[in-house]
Amino acid sequence: MFFHIVLERNMQLHPRFFGQNLRENLVSKLIKDVEGTISGRHGFVLAVTGIESVGKGLIRDGTPFVTFPVKYRCVVFRPFEGEVLEAVVTRVVQHGLFAEAGPLKIFVSNHCIPDDMEYQTGDMPNYTKSDGSVRIQKDCEVRLKIFGFSIDATEISCVGSIKERFLGLITDPGAVA
Amino acid sequence: MSVASDSPVHSSSSDDLAAFLETELDSDSDSSSESFPIGQAHDADAQLSNHRLKRQKLEYPEDETENVASVTFSEEISEASSSKVPCEHPGTFGNMCFVCGQKVEVTGVSFGYIHKGFKLQQDEVTRLRDIDMKALQSQRKLCLVLDLDHTLLNSTVLRDLKPEEEYLKSHTHSLQDVSGGDIFMLEFMHMMTKLRPFVHSFLKEASTMFVMYIYTMGDRPYARQMAKLLDPKGEYFGERIISRDDGTMKHQKSLDVVLGQEKAVLILDDTENAWPGHKDNLIVIERYHFFASSCKQFDHRFQSLSQLKSDESEPDGVLSAVLKVLKQTHSLFFQDGGEDLSSRDVRSLLKQVRKEILKGCKVVFSRVFPTKCRAEDHPLWRVAEGLGATCATEVDASVTHVVGMDVGTEKVRWAVREKKFVVHRGWIDAANYLWKKQPEENFGLEQLKKQGTDDVTVEK
Repeated sequence: MFFHIVLERNMQLHPRFFGQNLRENLVSKLIKDVEGTISGRHGFVLAVTGIESVGKGLIRDGTPFVTFPVKYRCVVFRPFEGEVLEAVVTRVVQHGLFAEAGPLKIFVSNHCIPDDMEYQTGDMPNYTKSDGSVRIQKDCEVRLKIFGFSIDATEISCVGSIKERFLGLITDPGAVA
Repeated sequence: MSVASDSPVHSSSSDDLAAFLETELDSDSDSSSESFPIGQAHDADAQLSNHRLKRQKLEYPEDETENVASVTFSEEISEASSSKVPCEHPGTFGNMCFVCGQKVEVTGVSFGYIHKGFKLQQDEVTRLRDIDMKALQSQRKLCLVLDLDHTLLNSTVLRDLKPEEEYLKSHTHSLQDVSGGDIFMLEFMHMMTKLRPFVHSFLKEASTMFVMYIYTMGDRPYARQMAKLLDPKGEYFGERIISRDDGTMKHQKSLDVVLGQEKAVLILDDTENAWPGHKDNLIVIERYHFFASSCKQFDHRFQSLSQLKSDESEPDGVLSAVLKVLKQTHSLFFQDGGEDLSSRDVRSLLKQVRKEILKGCKVVFSRVFPTKCRAEDHPLWRVAEGLGATCATEVDASVTHVVGMDVGTEKVRWAVREKKFVVHRGWIDAANYLWKKQPEENFGLEQLKKQGTDDVTVEK
């Protein structure tokens, strides 16, 4: 789920950046540092949308660096248990499917795929329903439900299921409406 | 709940409605239920219990509809998480069980080549292997694990190219269309790679009989790049590319990350010691030394194929011989269209095929083994027996070959007198690598003086 929240961060700036463009330097450093990273509580920080306030800078003892507390607004994205979202299938293997929803990497094990869908091997491995009406392969969009996730410093991994009602294939990339 | 609060007179609005409905719907109860105020004690109790029952009855239908919906919902959840049976956590993705989502201790075999962070428990691996076995049997296929370096190809770092090998740079094929190409320049990896002759036909034919894996001691990017050269469409290997980053042990290879049952897997590798636990599944192949750096790596003093400006022969080469062996083993496994394939073991079939090579030969060794060791324990004896020959220590009339190192020994002279074959040990090694009995004339003892004895190579 996406959130637009205010976060705070202490930015350290070297005196070479002081001067007329102090604030711009600070903001660009903030953007460089924070966009694309993962915060444990808030999830993946997608984009900084604006600066709320920049506090008074404090010189750190013993170094020339100055620390500014910066409050900024940003869009974050994190999964929740029980959340239903759409993802794009990246790989299909006999153990299940791997899908991605933005920065989230989701694995749906074949225990969590409906029993009437079977794995078909081949150069485009896929899961096909027994009556042939539904086929999930690479680059398909699926709606899945997250029932577990784990956030670490570099990525967010989730485990999901498509076994319930209203979950599963949304669009088939081959069929253009 | 106290008695007073149960009384409809003092109840809240919801209770009022319930009580009202009770009275409207009620027809069986005693007449005192019509009057709301509490009557005599015993009646009151009866009324109250009636009220309670009816309230429960009224409340029940509402709950029922909710329950139905939530029951199906929770059933579906429980199907997903098998909560009827406590989840066995067959494997983990990240640090969560991928069936129930709980955070579990991360144990089990890591299958990094399938996806980063993906691990499976041993029971799940066994279960998957059984499923795989059935699928393979229905397709009439076995598993084949292929090594890359010196088996299917030979790579060299550009820095190590000798001056006489520079001509190769002009012969490289484009990377855009790798089909039909043999030698490739990979500038971005500072490498040049030469594919072994016959490899394309080999892979094409083997893929009809085997599900193939790549298992190399190179790192993951190298493995994937080589797979792109060998298999541009991804039809032979798919995602089954195991590199040293995906193996469980540092300098050894093992079948634990291969999802096929051990009795249905064949391995093709140039290094026997890389597979300490699976020597019976292994077909050792002669090393492919195309580049000079490759020979140097193994401390050989002979010239590499690129320096000699030649290459292995395609139809008679090593890969072609190995392909024949694979075909033979495969047909033995699926022979008679037998249903009971679970009793067949590819390892014993491989031994069987191997024993055909020198069948009918009786071999005596002369001055090949050091005297202090028992002849039967010597590896060459074992190899010869594995190839189907009978070995003996003394000469007699049934002996067909004498393997010696020197023309002057008694056994050799006896053999010359009795018109038996006299060969040096290279004859046995060649049979081992080429899976075929070699003409004895090429391995006469005179050859020894010509070649030098540091290493035996089969020259074509």
